[in-house]
Amino acid sequence: MLSEFTPDQTVDDRRRPTYYDLPLLKAPHWEWNVVTYLFLGGIMGGLGLIQLLADGRKESERTLKRDARITAFALAAANPAILITHLGRPERFLNMMRIVKFKSPMSLGVWGLVLYSGAAGANMVRELALEGVLPRWLRFIAPGFLTPMQALLGAFTAGYTGVLLSATANPFWGSGKRHIPTASVASGLASACALSSLLCAIEGNTEPLHKLERLEMAAGATELLALVDFRRASGEYGKPFFEGARGKKLRDTTMIAGTLVPMALNLLGSIIKLPKPVDAVRVAVASILTLTGGYVLRESLIEAGKDSARDPRAAFRQPT
Amino acid sequence: MATGFFTDTTLCIGCKACEVACKQWNELPSDGFSFTGNSYDNTSELSGTTWRHVAFIEQTTATEDGVENRWLMSSDVCKHCTNAGCLEACPTGAIIRNEFDSVFIQPDICNGCGYCVVSCPFGVVDLIAKFDPDGSHYNVASLMEERREERQTALQNNGGVAGKCTLCYDRQTLGFTPACAKACPTESIQFGDVEELRERARKRAVTLAGRGVDAQLYGVDDVGGGVGPLNAFFLLTDRPEAYNLPAAPVLPSTRQPAGYTAAALTALGLAVAGWMIFRNA
Amino acid sequence: MPGLGTSFGRGGATVWVPDLVNADCILIEGSNFAEAHPVAYRFVMKAKERGATIIHVDPRFTRTSATADIYAPIRSGTDIAFLGGVINYVLTNDRYFKEYVSAYTNASNIVGEQFKDTEDLDGLFSGYDPEGRSYDTDTWAYEKDERGHVKRDPTFQHERCVLNVLRRHYARYTPEMVERVCGTPQALFLKIAKLLADNSGREKTTAFAYAVGWTQHTAGVQFIRTAAILQLLLGNIGRPGGGIMALRGHADIQGATDIPTLYDLLPGYLPMPSALRKEATLESYLSVNSKPTGWWANTPKYVVSLLKAYYGEHATAANDYCFDYLPQLIGDHSMLPTTFAMKDGTVKGYFVIGQNPGASGQNAELVKAAMERLDWVVNIDSYDNETVSFWRREGADPGKIATEVFFLPAATVLEKEGTMTQTSRLLQWHDKAVEPAGDSKSDAWYFNWFARRLKALYADSTDPKDRPIQHMTWDYDHDDPHERAKDEPSVLKVLQEINGFRTADGEQVASFAELKDDGSTACGGWIYSGVCPDKHTNRARNRDASGPYTALNWGFAWPANRRTLYNRASADPQGKPWSERKRYVWWDDEKREWTGVDVPDFVKTKAPDTPADPDGKGMDAHSGADPFIMMLDGRGALFVASGLKDAPMPAHYEPLQSVVENQLYAQQSNPALGEYRRRDNPYNAPIDERYPYVLTTYRITEQSGIMTRYVPWLAELQPAAFCEIDPELAVEKRIKSGDWVTISTAVGEMEARALVSGRMTPLRIGSKGGRRRVHQIGIPYNFGDMVGLARGDSVGNLIAISLDPNVSIHESKTLTCDIRLGRRKTHHRDDIDMAVPSEERDPMGQPEGNWAGAHHGHGYQHMQGDDAGASTP
Ligand SMILES: Nc1nc2c(c(=O)[nH]1)N[C@H]1C(S)=C(S)[C@@H](COP(=O)(O)OP(=O)(O)OC[C@H]3O[C@@H](n4cnc5c(=O)[nH]c(N)nc54)[C@H](O)[C@@H]3O)O[C@H]1N2
Ligand SMILES: Nc1nc2c(c(=O)[nH]1)N[C@H]1C(S)=C(S)[C@@H](COP(=O)(O)OP(=O)(O)OC[C@H]3O[C@@H](n4cnc5c(=O)[nH]c(N)nc54)[C@H](O)[C@@H]3O)O[C@H]1N2
Ligand code: SF4
Ligand code: SF4
Ligand code: SF4
Ligand code: SF4
Ligand code: SF4
Ligand SMILES: [Mo]
Repeated sequence: MLSEFTPDQTVDDRRRPTYYDLPLLKAPHWEWNVVTYLFLGGIMGGLGLIQLLADGRKESERTLKRDARITAFALAAANPAILITHLGRPERFLNMMRIVKFKSPMSLGVWGLVLYSGAAGANMVRELALEGVLPRWLRFIAPGFLTPMQALLGAFTAGYTGVLLSATANPFWGSGKRHIPTASVASGLASACALSSLLCAIEGNTEPLHKLERLEMAAGATELLALVDFRRASGEYGKPFFEGARGKKLRDTTMIAGTLVPMALNLLGSIIKLPKPVDAVRVAVASILTLTGGYVLRESLIEAGKDSARDPRAAFRQPT
Repeated sequence: MATGFFTDTTLCIGCKACEVACKQWNELPSDGFSFTGNSYDNTSELSGTTWRHVAFIEQTTATEDGVENRWLMSSDVCKHCTNAGCLEACPTGAIIRNEFDSVFIQPDICNGCGYCVVSCPFGVVDLIAKFDPDGSHYNVASLMEERREERQTALQNNGGVAGKCTLCYDRQTLGFTPACAKACPTESIQFGDVEELRERARKRAVTLAGRGVDAQLYGVDDVGGGVGPLNAFFLLTDRPEAYNLPAAPVLPSTRQPAGYTAAALTALGLAVAGWMIFRNA
Repeated sequence: MPGLGTSFGRGGATVWVPDLVNADCILIEGSNFAEAHPVAYRFVMKAKERGATIIHVDPRFTRTSATADIYAPIRSGTDIAFLGGVINYVLTNDRYFKEYVSAYTNASNIVGEQFKDTEDLDGLFSGYDPEGRSYDTDTWAYEKDERGHVKRDPTFQHERCVLNVLRRHYARYTPEMVERVCGTPQALFLKIAKLLADNSGREKTTAFAYAVGWTQHTAGVQFIRTAAILQLLLGNIGRPGGGIMALRGHADIQGATDIPTLYDLLPGYLPMPSALRKEATLESYLSVNSKPTGWWANTPKYVVSLLKAYYGEHATAANDYCFDYLPQLIGDHSMLPTTFAMKDGTVKGYFVIGQNPGASGQNAELVKAAMERLDWVVNIDSYDNETVSFWRREGADPGKIATEVFFLPAATVLEKEGTMTQTSRLLQWHDKAVEPAGDSKSDAWYFNWFARRLKALYADSTDPKDRPIQHMTWDYDHDDPHERAKDEPSVLKVLQEINGFRTADGEQVASFAELKDDGSTACGGWIYSGVCPDKHTNRARNRDASGPYTALNWGFAWPANRRTLYNRASADPQGKPWSERKRYVWWDDEKREWTGVDVPDFVKTKAPDTPADPDGKGMDAHSGADPFIMMLDGRGALFVASGLKDAPMPAHYEPLQSVVENQLYAQQSNPALGEYRRRDNPYNAPIDERYPYVLTTYRITEQSGIMTRYVPWLAELQPAAFCEIDPELAVEKRIKSGDWVTISTAVGEMEARALVSGRMTPLRIGSKGGRRRVHQIGIPYNFGDMVGLARGDSVGNLIAISLDPNVSIHESKTLTCDIRLGRRKTHHRDDIDMAVPSEERDPMGQPEGNWAGAHHGHGYQHMQGDDAGASTP
């Protein structure tokens, strides 16, 4: 850790604000796997709401519900695997389930994930049983209350990924103790809508699209508002996130390309009736942009957290 | 009995015996050999494998007749916080509070998730990175062949485990003083019953103030932010920041209610919005 | 060190480390106490806690300065000017401890008329011979009466009494002059002078601590002499919390001078017989070295007992106890001259045991070039080091080096048992903790093996010159069968022999008082006598800390387990403590003996009012109020009439390599210093514009030498050779902290990482054209470039060999140099390989030319550069 520091007698050392500009805090050791874990956690959460909202009595929404449940379970199953790539060895994941600790978002989150997988799994089995892919009697595996349950657990899964970050000693993350969870939930839902829309477009199930798009717009708007207010509220602490190359990437990818552009495309879709194939492209583009924006949001949060940890000035006086 | 450290930096001579004693007792590898140019501090920080770290703060102030120098030295360590961010955050329960009231990581339970790392407001705990396979960071001479392998497997653990001061739990159970305190030649590191040490620290600050020293206690009483008093506290002669200590640490879990509330409200709001969208259409 | 030896009688530190807690003020000068002696520094910190004022005077602001109350910067090499200034302050302001000075020092002695001071000869004393670069010290003698007794004037009226001579000599050492020479601001200097005076006297004491920051100079002995004078004037010798703490270096370096590894000493500071002093027979040897008065009158007992220990029953009165078996010195066989002799092809083989001169040596490249010319080298060491591996160093071609290298693995300290004598002259026994790794053997094992091989080799010889080997006693078989099976000798038996025994029945002697000069006792090192008073007791093993803080049952301090030397002086002439606060050893009138918390360093039953018998022998010549028992007259020496080669009273000279002219005298540097003007040892000329910076060398806590450079835990703390420079110079040279820089002198170059620090202060030094700013550069000497985890060029590459005249110590603390940004190319120099023309080979004229004249005291060379033990008074 070679510093450029050279003592200068014209400066009073006693006023020197830091210790050779060395970091006070430790940066997270989190790479793509944790980014993905958080990203998928958000989508799962959003899918929980979608599977609840989709009306099982309408054919088009039934498909939506089914797709949501299957993807939700797929993601819930993928996430531990991704976490394991981070932990190193599969059995290490089991350690997470030694205890339940309410003070630890990570612990609660893992339990949330596990319960969510359970609910999503049961609900998925039910769907597959209804479809006839699995024996029909298996549809009784998921009693009705599991549907709102999955939604509730989903809200938690999406929310905790934000609390996981904001309830740490990291000054930037800490400065977003309200904003990061809000943005996580909203972005998770937007991404879930985008993923569902994408699947609808692929399957040609266009009917629920406009509902999904409107929900995505609401979620996107919430995310955007949360981010804009975050910038104001975080002040100095937010610099590694909102400024410089990373800030630009966040603005361009998450806020503009990942939120505003899909919103515009969605708006476009509800105003002008485009020919089917063109509309499918529109949906696909909007969805991919939203998903990319969601990923970049998580990535930027983690990376900005690393920078923030390296800045002792931010760490000396933590945001409360 | 709650035990802890009172580190009186006015007595520190910067010999780093504490750093070395800790590494030796705990069989920790070196963190690499890089010259920093920052005073005599070449280890720079506490890490997963450096559990005591001596800071060197050079202060040169111009005066009428030349310059006046201060060279502050201080041995940093895990604070064994009353409300420990690391402990609260640990999802596996690897971090516990033991019978000496110290915050202790059980290495066999830790799964290397790294959540404690970002939850310590003092930047203490860190993951022990992958074991350096050629072993050159090890004091090869000091480790018996068998022990070396054992350590190697313990540390290797793909992705590592979290490491920090154990307050020499193993030594304490044997009735020994922690290695760092034992090695300190000037009693800058004082080990003992925390309550007694707190008393001693307060008295010492008064004595020093009487001698015109700007003595500040750090962690004897509540450091604020929900962290509470520390079991390893310090007597400093400058602002905490000068020593790379946070002036206003915050216990991470205090942010949880706001976070969960915000998430819940957002989810609720969007759910209502979704309900309206899906119903009205 | 003769500085202490000629002043007080013994060369060891006058005090013991824990006693520092009793000091009211501690002046640390010439040592980086906290960094080089961190464990001992505990007691300085304790003294500070008790309210003592700690003062550090050093060219650099170090970890010692950081924990001291007052730090004063000083230009390296100018301590005589600084302390001379304090002496002047004390004398002119009448701040000396009058009763002490009159009773216990030679202040009243009258110096002979023939004596001329530096005041009269502009920097030289009388008796100087410019040809031989040496003094005839006869001109420094005292005035004697008809019966040959030194004349005294207890009223101090006589203008030539020592006190007045001293006054005149130091009159020019004014605060203004101190500032000009040392760069220490006047106000700061005066503050320190006042503190020293305020903290001395009946009620208070000041302790001094120094180490190699004072010794490694061309006037090193005189640096210490200045301190000795000052401490005598202030009445601080022999008293609790007073004295001069000479901090020793390596763990057993004190032991290595007590039972010496020095070429010119026998155990217990008995001089090695010298052909130059005409000491061919025991009688002539004793006539030179035994003293009529004072404790050294016992010399014959110690010499004869030593010879009995060496040669056993073969040593008889009839054959002078085999005295002629001892080698006779014919020149300076110390390490540095021997290195030149190796280079010049005179010396063919080299044993290097536990030393790494390839890195720690001066002119380290020359050392290695010299080794290339040897037939063989035997290295006994625990690690590969720069010396062992000299043949594969940068720039060397192993194919062309014919030297045969034997590298024998040595057990480390934990792998063997024995004693170590630490800085307080305390012997402590340590047990073996683990078996030696691999093929390693203890050093004792190797010597035992060599001795047996030699004895076997010469067993059948009839050549008389082989008798010393045939007759040498050698019986150290271990009693433990396990150790004996491994051929490990018993070092306890060695210690028992050092303690001494009666030859008749083999019983141990209880102390050196029992030694005889008739062959009835044998003793391998009289000063240690008492450590094994019987076959079952090993007092070095004592670990009882109870009782008074002197803890007399912890280890064994030589001599006779005394902790503070000359402790008779802790009482007034009448035998009462100078003050209640400073009680230590006093006369118990009821019991009629000296008593106190320490073993009295005095004849136990000699009453304070015992008169001196001027014609008496040995101790009878001393009165009951003469505390310095080793001295001829029993008094501390403010003026040293004989025993030193360069000055009776210290005078400031510039180091050989200096950036300024001597401000005090026309004489630039020590007129008697030892030089080697050879092409492979070039000096920077004084005030050479090419080398405008002062360079000083030292050690750091984190490193010692190869032993620490291999340890990852230490290597990470200080991983690279570095140099400390002040920010002003850094800006001028565009150097940032962490940059590579190259430092150069006429001898060579080295590269290091820069550590820019406000702790290094540029000084304003007087010179012909007014004042100039002098930058000092500091480089730790602990690094070497070949092995270990922490590496870097050795600063030894920059240092030309020059010597102090009294102890031939190298001047490695003050040099001049240049510095530039960037790395060096190579430090291999062709000229170092060149053979030196013969006219350059005999640098000091006559080897030991200025030696023969010094009847009293002996110069000796310390192989490593620590201060060493006592000289005979
Ligand atoms: N960690 C560690 N400890 C050691 C050693 C080691 O290698 N490492 N070595 C041991 C050995 S062998 C020895 S001999 C001792 C030596 O112990 P010290 O003599 O205390 O150590 P040094 O660092 O060589 O030098 C002491 C100080 O002298 C200063 N100095 C240089 N020139 C002058 C001068 O002209 N005047 C004054 N007043 N000061 C000057 C230097 O700046 C330095 O701070 O340490 C022993 N202790
Ligand atoms: N420029 C400059 N040069 C200096 C000094 C300075 O201040 N400045 N200081 C000088 C001083 S004071 C000193 S003491 C010297 C020190 O110089 P050295 O004595 O050369 O220094 P070390 O590196 O300590 O070397 C000790 C060697 O002994 C070996 N060893 C350790 N234990 C044992 C053992 O039990 N048996 C055997 N056989 N070997 C063992 C180690 O491995 C190492 O190789 O340097 C001197 N050189
Ligand atoms: S200082 Fe950090 S690592 Fe230590 S107990 Fe407190 S929170 Fe945990
Ligand atoms: S890294 Fe280990 S100790 Fe730290 S939070 Fe995770 S499981 Fe707990
Ligand atoms: S208490 Fe033990 S583990 Fe903690 S810093 Fe000290 S030596 Fe290391
Ligand atoms: S051992 Fe003690 S004196 Fe040395 S650096 Fe550590 S705290 Fe300071
Ligand atoms: S290394 Fe050994 S001798 Fe040196 S200070 Fe430390 S304990 Fe004392
Ligand atoms: Mo030394």
